[in-house]
Amino acid sequence: MVDVDMAVVAAPTELVSPEARAALPPARVIADVGLVAGRNLRKVLRNTRLIVFSTIQPLMQLILFAYVFAAVAHIPGISYKDFVVPAVLVQTMTFAAMGSGVGIANDMQTGMVDRFRSLPIARSAFLVGRTTSDSLRLAIQCVILIAAALLIGFRFRNGIAAAAGMGVVLVMFGVALTAFSAWVGLSVGDPETVQAAVFIPILPLIFTSSAFAPVSRLPGWMQPLARANPITSAIDTARGLALGDQKLYAISHVHLGTASVHFVLWWIGIVAVFTVLAVRRYGAG
Amino acid sequence: MPGGVVVEQLVKRFGDFVALAGVDFVAPEGRITGLLGPNGAGKTTAIRILTTLLQADGGRASVAGYDVAREPQLVRAVIGLTGQYAAVDEDLTGRENLVLVGRLGRMPKRAATDRAAELLELFSLSHAADRVLRTYSGGMRRRLDLAASLMFAPPVLFLDEPTTGLDPRSRLELWDVIAELRRRGTTIVLTTQYLEEADRLADSISVIDAGKIIAEGTADELKRKVGGDVLDLTVSERIDTDVAATTLARAFEVEERDLTVDHELGHVLVPVGAGSVALVEAVRVLDGAGVRVADLGVRRPSLDDVFLSLTGHVAEEARTEAPAPRTRRPIA
Repeated sequence: MVDVDMAVVAAPTELVSPEARAALPPARVIADVGLVAGRNLRKVLRNTRLIVFSTIQPLMQLILFAYVFAAVAHIPGISYKDFVVPAVLVQTMTFAAMGSGVGIANDMQTGMVDRFRSLPIARSAFLVGRTTSDSLRLAIQCVILIAAALLIGFRFRNGIAAAAGMGVVLVMFGVALTAFSAWVGLSVGDPETVQAAVFIPILPLIFTSSAFAPVSRLPGWMQPLARANPITSAIDTARGLALGDQKLYAISHVHLGTASVHFVLWWIGIVAVFTVLAVRRYGAG
Repeated sequence: MPGGVVVEQLVKRFGDFVALAGVDFVAPEGRITGLLGPNGAGKTTAIRILTTLLQADGGRASVAGYDVAREPQLVRAVIGLTGQYAAVDEDLTGRENLVLVGRLGRMPKRAATDRAAELLELFSLSHAADRVLRTYSGGMRRRLDLAASLMFAPPVLFLDEPTTGLDPRSRLELWDVIAELRRRGTTIVLTTQYLEEADRLADSISVIDAGKIIAEGTADELKRKVGGDVLDLTVSERIDTDVAATTLARAFEVEERDLTVDHELGHVLVPVGAGSVALVEAVRVLDGAGVRVADLGVRRPSLDDVFLSLTGHVAEEARTEAPAPRTRRPIA
């Protein structure tokens, strides 16, 4: 490499003053977020194994619950398939959101976070870029799974607008959980540990929710927990949008209106708390 | 306002551990300043504060005239950073990595693409430009990492142990690039555990140990501070090592703890005044003590000797226990 023209090494390609380089007009912030998000998406697309596994796993869950569990579980007035599909979708979004923290921990371990933090970019670009690319990733995964669910006989009973609404609720819920996952990722900083740590609160929350059985059929002591559970609020809202308010009430004794208010409150709470925590972690380095 | 890097009384604590206990040094504009010290001495902490990745608990620092604590965004606009590990993206190609950093550093797309191609060529990475980094060797990653730090030709460059873990050839190549950057006027702060690296590249050296600067100067000045020459003895029979050390210490009136003794190799180093006189004297006393000599010579002290005499331990040694208070030789 010594024979190459060394002039390249330090030749400034353009004259930009430090002040101009450091300035952060809104257009620049948006461009930075776009660059970070584009980089994250490119990583996802390159990782074929991850794409395959993260698609096959929820598909298998879909089939397991829709066929195997349907043989032993009965919900009056509705097929178990229709009952369980919205829950499997919420669960899939939840699991997918946990990938966010793993990605961030990976960036910390490889020094990419330091690289970004030492560049004159908007401080928010790293986390907002991560959220942007994760929302897209979750939306794509959601569409694939809904298509698969329709293929195996799941049907929306409440019209197309409500069905689209369900999709929005699913992605929104996933995005809120990416804030939690990002905070864990930034706090722990080691991908394997993050993977294990995020599921400590998530798995019990899924099992003590209305995912696989109506709350009224859960053990008595578990019922108050299940009603207060954020995952229950997301599942009930998704279910109500997919099946209609009447069916939701018949199963869960909760109206869609109530469920969606719970969902929105939980959403705001999760986003607010974990965004603040994650941003503080990122700032502290 | 002064260019370069100015550090005054910098303090950083992690819980009870004091990483920096009031560090002062100046890295003049357009020069290479070496920050030399063992693992855990505080080198990386200092670099992290200067590159705005960490906030100091006390003291002040400025980079190219910008205050690190008050104007971090401006500092980021004038620095490049290459750390101990390559901060590059495994899933992107070499070219994509460089273009990403260039564009985040505010270069237009076209300029970033052109610059990336130039740097890939310079660092002999053109053939691998469009391969993802998973397929790169360690040396290739380091070179790409340095290339990324040079994308927008920052006037101040921080190199934190840039050659740690590199094979000798890659190290020499990187040294050439660093020397060239200096010729082009880049201010460089270089941390290293390798005395040879500091000796070869740095215009001035600050020796840091246990969070304090314990000596400063050019490599030659530091060597002179150790005083005189070094008598370098290897005994034929390893069991003679201790006898030889005691004999030489007495003959040259130096404390035994100022000697470097390696029992494994039967090797003894003694700081002496004038080398040629010492050599004759050494032969006489060793003969008198019945020590069989395999090799005996006099040389100018290396930075290794300087480091040892300043810190009481060898440079490459990784510190595992808490630093103990040590006696130091006064430096004139």
